[in-house]
Amino acid sequence: MRVDVRALGACNRLAERGAERAANALGELTGSDLAVEVTGASVATGEDLAEAFSGRESIGVRVGLDGGLEGQAVLAFDAEQIDGLLSVLPGGASMGRSAVTEVGNIALGGFLDGWANYLGRAIDMTPPRYFEADGAAVLPDGALAGDGVFLFESRLDATGTDLDFSIYMLPDSGPFRDLVVGKTATAATVGAEGAGGSAGGANATAVPYESLSTFASLAKRGSANAADNIGMMTGLETTVDVSRLRFVPLADVPSEVGTEPHAGTVFELQGKPSGYLAILFSEESAAAIAEAMLPMEPDQPLGDMAENALCELGNVMTSGFIDGWANVLGTSISHSPPEFVHDIGSATVSPLVASLSRRQDYGFVIDAAIRTEGIQARCDVYALPDERELAAALERLSET
Amino acid sequence: MAKRVLIADDSEFMRNLLREILEGEFEIVGEAENGVEAVNMYDEHGPDLVMMDIVMPIRDGIEATTEIKGDDPEATVIMCTSVGQEEKMKAAIKAGAEGYITKPFQKPNVLDAIGSAV
Repeated sequence: MRVDVRALGACNRLAERGAERAANALGELTGSDLAVEVTGASVATGEDLAEAFSGRESIGVRVGLDGGLEGQAVLAFDAEQIDGLLSVLPGGASMGRSAVTEVGNIALGGFLDGWANYLGRAIDMTPPRYFEADGAAVLPDGALAGDGVFLFESRLDATGTDLDFSIYMLPDSGPFRDLVVGKTATAATVGAEGAGGSAGGANATAVPYESLSTFASLAKRGSANAADNIGMMTGLETTVDVSRLRFVPLADVPSEVGTEPHAGTVFELQGKPSGYLAILFSEESAAAIAEAMLPMEPDQPLGDMAENALCELGNVMTSGFIDGWANVLGTSISHSPPEFVHDIGSATVSPLVASLSRRQDYGFVIDAAIRTEGIQARCDVYALPDERELAAALERLSET
Repeated sequence: MAKRVLIADDSEFMRNLLREILEGEFEIVGEAENGVEAVNMYDEHGPDLVMMDIVMPIRDGIEATTEIKGDDPEATVIMCTSVGQEEKMKAAIKAGAEGYITKPFQKPNVLDAIGSAV
């Protein structure tokens, strides 16, 4: 079965609109201004999910879905924020569990509205079930089994109060696969035309479903290689916290990276697929990593010496990523010399997005959060391959 | 004389919210937690109006409305639900509901919907 990666992008757009509706519903109920911070569609394995949710404590609701979309949806609040949520609800303080359940129900209803209206079919929700869960137990039953699931995550942010939550929707893979190769493919084309018609025919971006899981595994392996390379260069024990392949509107990438200052390296990838790779550290993390790599304390936290160290680190991390892709995809991929970037996060990736946006509206983003023990350092890797070239490579992968 | 209202919602939080909105202008004759209770309490109290949630356990609001309207075609039911989907709303109207409001709602929305239905 073939999946159009642009259709997945369109699904992401639906999820984003759903998250906006959920935010509006919650905002009305709580009197808070809520903004959609991040929405992402991804293919994730059970193992990825277990890792991603490790250490989190959540409170929220689960609902079952039937009708237009089958599967399950979860709305989860960070457990630490529940008191804040209850304090802004009318009568919430005395009705903890019931209030949380209803808030979750209302927000999930808002989230699913757009999907149902688009599909032209009602989505039946079961009554919400309240939960308190640690780690991956927040996810619906069965989410951790199987080779890969489609996962939609949204994170909403409240201004004025600490109130954010995530919505996870795991449409049963079978029916959802039909969705992404059926009506949604048309929507993706319409969306692309609306954005300036930069995308080409849908066939150019259709890939076998199985190859998406393979590529997601590749992304994970690349992250592990990159982490190993950091470990070797710094002597610090380094682990990959999260590594996930997502499909996002390119225009959303800068806002995802955010406005905090970042430092790191950017590379242009040449070959099949071409594209860009950005390795970004928070300022503090960049300084800490650079210091760990240098034989003496640098004269400035992010001066020339640190820049050189981070460029070299970027080089070996990038090699760690793309060597694995090239081997598995059977292609040759090289990369440009590192370009050091030190700016607010969105500014570091905006030029890359602008360049890719001439050819495509959606992108695969590989998030890899790499954590080092001993010092507080963390980096995010954004890989933005050309979607057609990646689709062609995945096609070849499925044929071998 | 104040109109008599039955509230049917599986969420205690929403029942309380609706009660707060309606008390003073309406008489609340009962609160049902599911569709079966809603039908039974309708038979018992014969309210002027039912505020009916759609998604409820045991029996949902649409089935309960169908049964209530089958027994009493003059019954007035307003659906109040977080599910604002067009198809669901069509099903609610087909079941005989006189109107609907989408959660979350404010007092004016509720009173407007009741004003139009009653």
